[in-house]
Amino acid sequence: MKAFLAFCVVLLVFGSVSEAKFDDFEDEEDIVEYDDNDFAEFEDVTEDSVTENPQRVITTEDDEDETTVELEGQDENQEGDFEDTDTQEGDTESEPYDDEEFEGYEDKPDTTSSKNKDPITIVDVPAHLQNSWESYYLEILMVTGLLAYIMNYIIGKNKNSRLAQAWFNTHRELLESNFTLVGDDGTNKEATSTGKLNQENEHIYNLWCSGRVCCEGMLIQLRFLKRQDLLNVLARMMRPVSDQVQIKVTMNDEDMDTYVFAVGTRKALVRLQKEMQDLSEFCSDKPKSGAKYGLPDSLAILSEMGEVTEGMMDTKMVHFLTHYADKIESVHFSDQFSGPKIMQEEGQPLKLPDTKRTLLFTFNVPGSGNTYPKDMEALLPLMNMVIYSIDKAKKFRLNREGKQKADKNRARVEENFLKLTHVQRQEAAQSRREEKKRAEKERIMNEEDPEKQRRLEEAALRREQKKLEKKKMKMKQIKVKAM
Amino acid sequence: RYKPPPSECNPALDDPTPDYMNLLGMIFSMCGLMLKLKWCAWVAVYCSFISFANSRSSEDTKQMMSSFMLSISAVVMSYLQNPQPMTPPW
Repeated sequence: MKAFLAFCVVLLVFGSVSEAKFDDFEDEEDIVEYDDNDFAEFEDVTEDSVTENPQRVITTEDDEDETTVELEGQDENQEGDFEDTDTQEGDTESEPYDDEEFEGYEDKPDTTSSKNKDPITIVDVPAHLQNSWESYYLEILMVTGLLAYIMNYIIGKNKNSRLAQAWFNTHRELLESNFTLVGDDGTNKEATSTGKLNQENEHIYNLWCSGRVCCEGMLIQLRFLKRQDLLNVLARMMRPVSDQVQIKVTMNDEDMDTYVFAVGTRKALVRLQKEMQDLSEFCSDKPKSGAKYGLPDSLAILSEMGEVTEGMMDTKMVHFLTHYADKIESVHFSDQFSGPKIMQEEGQPLKLPDTKRTLLFTFNVPGSGNTYPKDMEALLPLMNMVIYSIDKAKKFRLNREGKQKADKNRARVEENFLKLTHVQRQEAAQSRREEKKRAEKERIMNEEDPEKQRRLEEAALRREQKKLEKKKMKMKQIKVKAM
Repeated sequence: RYKPPPSECNPALDDPTPDYMNLLGMIFSMCGLMLKLKWCAWVAVYCSFISFANSRSSEDTKQMMSSFMLSISAVVMSYLQNPQPMTPPW
């Protein structure tokens, strides 16, 4: 037991000695040299100690490592060991080793004092190393938002498709009784009825019907709200909007007379007047109230001539309009229909846009957004109105005065158009002439042969003189005519 | 009588939402990738979803898929480079 204790003391002493030396030198080579010197100390010791040398060497090395680590670090064990050995050995044996042995002790009071000055700050582990899901709450929020969007997309899409199907089921019979061809998507070579709606979008469904006596065809477009887009759904909560059914009947040329006429809500008519080419040109007055003809106040009339209004507003039409006024957005008959005004670039001469004789109907589905499939039945009478209007348009003919007025109007519009484009065309022609001149001049300049240059210049001069003479002649003729 | 309809140039004029959203999505995903901004990448994912929801049936699915893939890759790359969670600006 005592031998063991002595051995421990010896180890500690040598450890502290070597540690002192380590403090001074950091190079590995120097450490090795000092290792040799340490071993040199052992050489004088007895055989037992010599045999133990390797062990001691190893152990002292370990101890040296331990002591250096322990004294540099914060571990207090070695100091505890120092204490233990001291108490066990007594003061006499530890005295010669005070310097080395108590190095740890010197440090100890320092560390304790430093501890009082600098409290240990516990640094937070960075978030991504925390391994907890809570720190990722924003990401979870984002993913939840995406899932909500996808859910809304699926629900909205299904609702729209159910509404479309309900509409088609209610109207199918009526359509099939009036048209031979119901539903066509244009892919087949032959005209065969598909009997199905054509889905253009998640919220727009088309149906083309054809094969009736006086009209070329009828295109029905179910424009539902964008229930599949969450942003739109949220926007609609602020501002309620309705689903719409737009019907466009293209008439044959011989089956409709020449007039432009529109009925609808005031707001819609004002908007149409601004947007539509034909309404803005032919119906210059503001929308008039329909009360004169027995229509409710909500509806207004835009017409080319009073006669047209008189003719259109027969009892049955008035009946339709009064009963279903809340569902009617606008009704527009026109022989000069060419769609909305196209914004043209300046300086471009344009032709008159192609016109087609059309009847346009825009209906609002009741419910203003919260529609159910059974609401579609309410639209059936409106389809009856459409059919009636087609027949009416075929029958209605302007009298002679009306026809003359109408023709005058059309001629006037055409003239205005030509005037506008005339100016533009003139400008275009002038710019072309200037370009030609410039090109000629450039050619003349680029000609290296001086003779050729002279010839070209002379030719250009002659041409200009001829033009001037022609102009003079024209002026003379005009003057003579004026006289 | 004849068939069909309407293949007009109007669709492009009527509703430019899907095209705008597509473009926005691409811009945001490029910003997210270049500037390593996570929120940009997330907004790009949202934009591509909105564009898809509003798209017309005649539109190219390849276009949709490519913008979607780009936005997803922007999100993944931002997180690979910097696994820390997003910090709100407040």
